[in-house]
Amino acid sequence: MSTQDTRPVELKLYKAHEKVYPRETKGRFQFKRKLAVFVLLGLFYLLPWFDWGGHQAVLFDLPHRRFYIFGLTLWPQDFIFLALMLIIAAFSLFFFTALAGRLWCGYACPQTVWTEVFIWMEQLTEGNRNKRMKLDKGPWNFNKIWRKTAKQFLWITFALWTGFTFVGFFTPIKELAVNVVTWNLGPWETFWLFFYGFATYGNAGFLREQVCLYMCPYARFQGAMFDKETLIISYDEKRGEPRMRGKTRREAENPGDCIDCTLCVQVCPTGIDIRDGLQYECIACAACIDACDDVMASVGLPKGLIRYTTENALEGKKSRVLRPRILIYGAILTLLVSSFAYALLTRSSIDANVIPDRNSFYRIVDAQRIENVYNLKIMNKGSQTAHYEVSAIGLDGLAVDFETDDGVLSAEPGELISVPIRIRADRSVANKKIHTIKVVVNEVDNPNNKRTETVKYFGYDK
Amino acid sequence: MGTRPVTDQSQFNERQIKRIFYRRLGTAVWVSFLAAAVQTMIFFAQFDPAYLNEIASITISIDRWQGYALGFVFFWLFSFITGLFCGVIMALPRTKLAQSIRQES
Repeated sequence: MSTQDTRPVELKLYKAHEKVYPRETKGRFQFKRKLAVFVLLGLFYLLPWFDWGGHQAVLFDLPHRRFYIFGLTLWPQDFIFLALMLIIAAFSLFFFTALAGRLWCGYACPQTVWTEVFIWMEQLTEGNRNKRMKLDKGPWNFNKIWRKTAKQFLWITFALWTGFTFVGFFTPIKELAVNVVTWNLGPWETFWLFFYGFATYGNAGFLREQVCLYMCPYARFQGAMFDKETLIISYDEKRGEPRMRGKTRREAENPGDCIDCTLCVQVCPTGIDIRDGLQYECIACAACIDACDDVMASVGLPKGLIRYTTENALEGKKSRVLRPRILIYGAILTLLVSSFAYALLTRSSIDANVIPDRNSFYRIVDAQRIENVYNLKIMNKGSQTAHYEVSAIGLDGLAVDFETDDGVLSAEPGELISVPIRIRADRSVANKKIHTIKVVVNEVDNPNNKRTETVKYFGYDK
Repeated sequence: MGTRPVTDQSQFNERQIKRIFYRRLGTAVWVSFLAAAVQTMIFFAQFDPAYLNEIASITISIDRWQGYALGFVFFWLFSFITGLFCGVIMALPRTKLAQSIRQES
């Protein structure tokens, strides 16, 4: 700071960043976090390698505008599913935040998960917290150089592999692997591979908790979803204070349970002291709970000096986690998820649209019959070529007639076909001005896969 | 939780004002990136870039990948300009009126 800056500044613009060296810890919550890392990253790295029904199990094929998700093929017409999924994601966030704070941040956020892996690599090459701090302060000797090099090697390799896997969700990963080996990548694949790799390296290797502090939008508004019954990680001040250690502690008459070992501060990945109360920086990883529980066990005091609790419980009031807010969020979420599942399971692979011919109401075919003309559009949303038949219901003796080059209606996957159809009826039956009929399009090989469209039918009312 | 926005720059020196500006610039870049990602997703789920290219009045030939990328850059740029304007306009101009408002508050 220069001499100009002696005037008091009300607001700190930026704190000079101090590197956080989180101490490694074990315990029941850390076990769950580790499990989450393996499950989530396992899914990410392995899923693209599996095939399903002749194509990659999960593939977002942007050039052909279709998404494969196991047995399901989604087209742009299925946008409603994407929208529903985003709404479900938003409501899950409300629900879980109101229930137990930043569960997402602590266990499932890609930022946390990848940071965790990068920290493991750091521990593997540079040793534990004390060794890492000593190494960073020490001179650039052989030991430091090889350890740092090894760490960078692991980080960069892992980041590139991450970028490769990411692109593998959009381009068939096996072809991509061949192209990488033969150095034959297209410009987009190259860009995204390095871009995502670089983002992983930068975010998980260097920025870490700063992403959560400065860049994450969720971190800024999650506080609005908290109330006094939300489960938060909290230090029990009444039990812990006055904190003291060593000689003072032995001589004190009535010391608090906190032995001031500062392990809870050392294990914190965002570098805060949980004993100062709930803070914006806390990502709810529960590392301090595990660390403190261990210490409490070793000094023979009851566990839970730092624990998941609610603000009301800390104040000694009655606390109830199951409250109307949770029940309402839960009910909405259940409703959304079940309707999503229902819509997905009953989704037809046929998209049909019947548009009446604008030029005429009806045409007289012969002395007994009339006909209405429509334009029928069918899109095949399945993953195989399909043949279709068309029928009409709603009036007795409706007959559907159409002409195509080869006499059958068929569409390739993703193809939109358009065909004029004529629907004939008896004058004696279609004797009102307007009737409502249903046009049914179904697959020849699988008659249960059908789509029904309701249209107007102009009758012979003279 | 969170910080109050800086609306009064009178108490900062040149170097700090520069930092405020870069901070706003960075915020605009990052937030518009997120916004552009969402806009791209929603827009191209409805409109096929290859078809838009066919009916466009400018005659350049682009494939779908290029269309997606161009669309993303377009959304990013315009969201960024919006964000930057917000940042610039949020700071009160150095006028007598603004000074009187500052003194009152």
